[in-house]
Amino acid sequence: MNGHIGSLKIALLVMALALLGACLMPGTGPVQAQAPQESQSEESGVAVSGQEFPVPLVPLPKTITPCRACHGPEKDFPVQFKRHEDLLVHKNIRLAHGGVRVWCLDCHHPDNRNFLLPLSDGKPIDFEHSYLLCGKCHGTKYRDWRNGIHGKRTGSWNGEKQYFLCVSCHNPHLPKFKPLEPMPPPAKPWTPKETQAKH
Amino acid sequence: MSDSNKTTQETATIRRDKKDRATEAPACGKDSIQPDRRSFLAGAAAFLGLISVSSCSWQEFVQNHFQRMTKTEIEETVERLRAEYKGKYGKDFVVGTEAPIDGTLFGYALDIQRCIGCRRCVYACVDENNQTRNPQMQYIRVLRFKDGNMDLEESSIYYDPEEVPEKGYYYMPVQCQHCANAPCTKVCPVRATWTEPDGIVVVDYNWCIGCRYCMAACPYMGRWFNFADPVIPADQVNTQTHYLGNRPRMRNVVEKCTFCIQRVRVGKYPMCVEVCPVGARKFGNLLDPDSEISRIISTKRVFRLKEELNTQPKFYYFFA
Repeated sequence: MNGHIGSLKIALLVMALALLGACLMPGTGPVQAQAPQESQSEESGVAVSGQEFPVPLVPLPKTITPCRACHGPEKDFPVQFKRHEDLLVHKNIRLAHGGVRVWCLDCHHPDNRNFLLPLSDGKPIDFEHSYLLCGKCHGTKYRDWRNGIHGKRTGSWNGEKQYFLCVSCHNPHLPKFKPLEPMPPPAKPWTPKETQAKH
Repeated sequence: MSDSNKTTQETATIRRDKKDRATEAPACGKDSIQPDRRSFLAGAAAFLGLISVSSCSWQEFVQNHFQRMTKTEIEETVERLRAEYKGKYGKDFVVGTEAPIDGTLFGYALDIQRCIGCRRCVYACVDENNQTRNPQMQYIRVLRFKDGNMDLEESSIYYDPEEVPEKGYYYMPVQCQHCANAPCTKVCPVRATWTEPDGIVVVDYNWCIGCRYCMAACPYMGRWFNFADPVIPADQVNTQTHYLGNRPRMRNVVEKCTFCIQRVRVGKYPMCVEVCPVGARKFGNLLDPDSEISRIISTKRVFRLKEELNTQPKFYYFFA
């Protein structure tokens, strides 16, 4: 009896080992079900995770969020004005974004000036994730930006990258890219050596 | 120092040979296969003179092709170069010899709808890659076209307005296109230039004989020749270098853009990508389907310059 059980055990062990071997052999084991890979393209997580891009978080330069200077924790100006005339107090801001179709409260939160309008989830967007709001209108540019086609990236081509927010390059009130002064043209081949552009 | 030692030693050997011969004079007779003292010295003087005129050390003179060098030979060469650069610029250089990263094929894309022609890339490249400042050399040419025109011969590189972009013009920077079927590497009579496994076309400056066949073969004017001794101010020289890339060059050799091989082989973006203020320049691995460059090629309208020549550039222009 005892011997029977012993041999049974050995037989079971041998079978188990054989099965294990078969599984480990490449190509013979059962095909592993591929985990459905969520490609980081169009559909996946727009508002779900606000933290999917390595954008600069804090501190943002004051030029991007000057609202904090008056409506921030230090100085708390009231923000109950919602009419166009009331908002004209911001004389220093020239708005040339989308012509007459866009005005202040199309982006800024009516009650809390340190936030932007919410997405469909109802949570106001903070200035660090302003690209979510820009993407509401500029969908194709937003898609290109997420794929690294629009906008600048620095860092490493196969590793960590630094993204730039939309507002790092485009002033949201005057989004057109500002002209630059070009660097000097190359020296013409017939230029004498002494007068070539110094660099 | 070592040269003169060597000559005296050689002379001594000859002297001994002669003595030996003198003692064995009857056996040798008039057999004069061995050179006599005079012609040997003349030859040695000519050889040493040639080396001294060409202003290179004898180690440099006998240095092997980079691809044929053993590991120790490469180390010795790097040490020699570092000492040479230290003497010339007074700085400690890093002369890297990083090998290609497995599974990479570099590609480049440039958004010509985005480029504003500011030439920031041109000067960032000069600083990064130790190009000679006087005479001037710039790997990147920014061509300016009239809107609607794509005739290269009607483009201009000497535009100099107050501000860019100018109304009615667009800009197209051109540099080495790193062709997959590169004509420049085929014409080199000494194989001093070749395509690396990661797709970068490089030059072994020490093997280049300066014949400039590659420059004649390149349809993009992507190669440059050092007609004079390169001049780089010591405070502007970049000490992070690569043997096949931006190490200081010498007169009479050809050089070119290497996608900043010293940066991309350690994972960084090329300098022109980093500096572009409008983000028109894109760089990445063509073999990675999720890289920026692959996404651009699969989703945007791209073209390659002078595609009809079958050079198969890995440099894509696109409209986003």
